[in-house]
Amino acid sequence: MGVTKEQVESSLKAKMNPSHLEVIDTSGGCGASFAIEIVSEQFEGKRLLERHRLVNAALEEEMKEIHALSIKKALTPEQWKQQQEPEKSNPTS
Amino acid sequence: MATINLSPLRTSPSLCSRSSRSPQNAPKLSLYSHPRPSLTFPSISLKSNSTAKPRALTITFAHKNLSETELVSVPPEAEDVAGKLPSYAGVYAVYDQNEELQFIGISRDIAASVTLHRKSVPELCCSVKVGVVDDPERTALTQAWKSWMEEHIKATGKVPPGNETGNTTWVRQPPKKKADLRLTPGRHVELTVPMEELIDKLVKESKVVAFIKGSRSAPLCGFSQKVVGILESEGVNYETVDVLDEEYNYGLRETLKKYSNWPTFPQIFVNGELVGGCDILTSMYEKGELASLFKK
Repeated sequence: MGVTKEQVESSLKAKMNPSHLEVIDTSGGCGASFAIEIVSEQFEGKRLLERHRLVNAALEEEMKEIHALSIKKALTPEQWKQQQEPEKSNPTS
Repeated sequence: MATINLSPLRTSPSLCSRSSRSPQNAPKLSLYSHPRPSLTFPSISLKSNSTAKPRALTITFAHKNLSETELVSVPPEAEDVAGKLPSYAGVYAVYDQNEELQFIGISRDIAASVTLHRKSVPELCCSVKVGVVDDPERTALTQAWKSWMEEHIKATGKVPPGNETGNTTWVRQPPKKKADLRLTPGRHVELTVPMEELIDKLVKESKVVAFIKGSRSAPLCGFSQKVVGILESEGVNYETVDVLDEEYNYGLRETLKKYSNWPTFPQIFVNGELVGGCDILTSMYEKGELASLFKK
């Protein structure tokens, strides 16, 4: 038995207080592989490595079962806003 | 030997030749029928040869005597080399900063080969002379190489150091063939030093170390494969350790996870510090941040 998407989500929500969270089960059902996009204030002033460490720590229990965790995005709310804006403003510009 | 270091803006002779292909009645080359190219006379014959291909004109200008060919400095940045040197087949001679001839080689793509030399031995690859050979046959290339070699040997009495038997400085070694490092002599040999110390020593003594699943020539997981691909494309000298090697790296996975406080593989270390896993390396690669990281 692996880990469910919901378990990953609830752990991250509880520990990271994310303003945006997307968990994708990339294992094809066995629950051993996930891709994550997460936006949290806790990332403020931290390098990518430290951000990944936070996520890894939040998922410490789950990691025992997970083989592959791909953190696609680990952004601060500010960065997230900047990333969203160009997409929105593109059609008008 | 009279060699001139060109200013960066001047083009190489072979580049000039490409734009001067048009004259139809120009002298034809009979380079390959020349039994022994002499030193004093260019290895090109001015005799007209009706059977030669019209394109042979290019060679007439491009592939001159070694001594007559102008020396072109190699740009330090790899991306500039292709703009300055021809991406054609031909012969090339590499000179160090003292304008000492180091190596004469042939290539299907001169610019690409020189780029690789520049990367692997920058101190020996400061400037080059190139001669485009407009004939895809290997024998033609070899002949051009021979004529330059003979000319140099005749002039100096010496074989270029890089062309001496046993010198592999200039031979392109497939980087992936490099062996993966083993941390221990085998799982049944008792370690005198804790595994943690072995890891610490390795990552601090090597500039770039990638702990991957599988070997560098055949990574066993997609993430490790990607990491190897990125490191290869950066052209950086890196070491790999196969964390799945239960014989020579027994116990590495668990110890490394604790050492780096990082739960997954691959793990990439630069200058003794964990950079991260595949996601971080990929992200830095896409942002173009790796080059500066490896320069540190």
